[in-house]
Amino acid sequence: MADKKMFIDGVECPFTNERNVLEVAKNNGIDIPSLCYCENLSIYGGCRMCIVENERGGLDAACSMKPRDGMQIFTYTEKVLKSRRTTLQLLLSSHRADCVTCDMSGKCKLQEYAHRYNVDSTRFPTNTYNTERVDVSSPCITRDPSKCILCGLCVRMCDEVQNIGAIDFTQRGKKAYVAPGFGKMLSETNCVGCGQCAAVCPTGAITVVNQIEKFWSMLHDKNKKVVVQYAPSVRVGMAEEFGMPADTAVTGKLVTALKMLGADVVYDTNLTADLTIMEESAEFFEKVKNGDKLPMFTSCCPGWIQHVEHKHPHLMPQVSTAGSPMEMFGALIRQQFKDEDVYSVAIMPCSAKKFEAQRPELEKDGKRLIDLVITTQELNRMIKEAGLNFAALPESEPDSPLGKYTGAGVIFGVTGGVTEAVIRRVLDDASPGTLQTIAECGVRGLEGIKAFEVSAGDLKLRIAVANGLGNADKLIAKVESGEEYFDFIEVMACPNGCIGGGGQPPASNARKRERFNAIFKEDDRLELKIPQQNPDLQYVYDELMKGRAHELLHIHYPLHGDHH
Amino acid sequence: MEQKDYQQIDEILDKYDRDKARIITIMQEVQNIYRYLPQDVLSYIAKAVDMSESKLYGVATFYSNFALTGKGKYVLKVCRGTACHVRKSGNVLRALYEATGLNEEKTTTDDGLISIEIVSCLGACALSPVVMVNDTVHAAMTADKAKDLVDELRAEG
Repeated sequence: MADKKMFIDGVECPFTNERNVLEVAKNNGIDIPSLCYCENLSIYGGCRMCIVENERGGLDAACSMKPRDGMQIFTYTEKVLKSRRTTLQLLLSSHRADCVTCDMSGKCKLQEYAHRYNVDSTRFPTNTYNTERVDVSSPCITRDPSKCILCGLCVRMCDEVQNIGAIDFTQRGKKAYVAPGFGKMLSETNCVGCGQCAAVCPTGAITVVNQIEKFWSMLHDKNKKVVVQYAPSVRVGMAEEFGMPADTAVTGKLVTALKMLGADVVYDTNLTADLTIMEESAEFFEKVKNGDKLPMFTSCCPGWIQHVEHKHPHLMPQVSTAGSPMEMFGALIRQQFKDEDVYSVAIMPCSAKKFEAQRPELEKDGKRLIDLVITTQELNRMIKEAGLNFAALPESEPDSPLGKYTGAGVIFGVTGGVTEAVIRRVLDDASPGTLQTIAECGVRGLEGIKAFEVSAGDLKLRIAVANGLGNADKLIAKVESGEEYFDFIEVMACPNGCIGGGGQPPASNARKRERFNAIFKEDDRLELKIPQQNPDLQYVYDELMKGRAHELLHIHYPLHGDHH
Repeated sequence: MEQKDYQQIDEILDKYDRDKARIITIMQEVQNIYRYLPQDVLSYIAKAVDMSESKLYGVATFYSNFALTGKGKYVLKVCRGTACHVRKSGNVLRALYEATGLNEEKTTTDDGLISIEIVSCLGACALSPVVMVNDTVHAAMTADKAKDLVDELRAEG
């Protein structure tokens, strides 16, 4: 209930409990610029872009002002615009503005604001940046402090949301820069490559590793059979880039686009999401039967796996050995095209998958399961590069066999989806009534931590779902202190799950909510709802994997131990 | 590192309840043991107070009082505060740099004998320009006295 109102540029703006004037303005359709503010992080007030003029003619940062009933502020007075312009000129003085060749070109907030606020010259010398600290050690993330404006969003994301703190401010004053401690490279830290730092970076200082050239060269190589799979959440991270409503799943157009780019075979990772559920639930009941230590943790998320390895190594034996859907499809592709010169590409919403694909364990029969991981963002760029009118493309189906999938696979793309799919599998009933009951059991929603109970026959299962590694750590602390007990825990490293992955176009909470809706609309559209209904699974188990299913579909990382 | 070193650090940590809010005091006391903050010790402290290494490193590099590399036997603090500046502490510093071969980046001699630090004010403006050698104050310094001082320290070894 909006019972209070303030006036922004004379316009009456109702508000309730917004945490600052910036949010009030946003909710009333007024765009106040900001470089260091994120709705999900603590307020820093450092960039001075959101400066506004108050009733007394003073300048204040809108991100740090509590809205008051009857308050008046002005967002584009002469004073305000001059202040913003000066701020931008100062920021540009220590920014390596190689805009035309920068990975963030066109998406950079600094670039956008420099244009919007009419910064037509660089007033100060612009050579005070240091290009010696570029860090390309990580297979997921590239850091270039010469483009950093010290907004601290990445630092707060890594610390407050992910509870990792791989990077922080070093030195002070004009010498300050953001980096891992002790002059280390990112690959030497506990960074898991989730890419959330890149998702909040307003400039090109932190970007996801770009492998577009590599993908093109393979697509253009006539001797290679390029087999491409795309993950559940990729289909909901594309529409907005091509002028379509953000809550649209673009599955059919995505298949067409991949074929037009030159992919020889296209598969939907949803199939192996179904397969993951079959393997993971079998493993779970095996653990229950053997009286193994619970909870069992999910294993689809490479950021989460690395986090366990770094921070909770003793829990690794409780993490499922079921391969991620990407890994499993990699294994299927190698079996399906045994003697052919196949290049296996995965389109993923994820930067950490680039690391996962390189792990030594992702090799079976002497062949790499995945040769290349391309993010949703990279694919979007390639579609633009090819000049395809994506929104107008016809729809196609993935190749067959191995082209079928169920709604249980699609919902992997959002937090709670893996768990909901497991419950569908376990209850083994695709009637609308049962599906409705499952949807309402507490598993759905974008909350950071969800805990609930599900009855399966005479088994009562305590289940928890966490997204964001900070939330996972909170949950683990409760389990380890004995405060809570769970049989099964799903963790996705990125806030809201893969729809908010580090490889997706960066999105506000509202935008992620639309992607969430798009995933479940896609689930509604599909006739098949539970993994065991997938007709291709029989082909997988009885022919393709012939007695080698466990060997090919499971990944044993060193810390899993030889327990399995 | 030897076991007893960590014991000393543990004592300091326990004295301050391993509380990250008192990290500055903890680091100062640890620095008193080594005269600088060795990397492995900082990593140990980070774990003990549940702080990320990068954040602790950030704190250590924020304050110029903390040193991350070993200091020489004699630490020369050259005051470049206002009073010392107008009484030509710049010449003193230049003379010290010339006599030792040090500069703003390289602050300790290779033989580990002398370190030169620039400080903002030692609170002894009446004695300006001031150079402190460890805990001893040298007042009314000149470029010549600075050169003699370095020779003296070298002679003492």
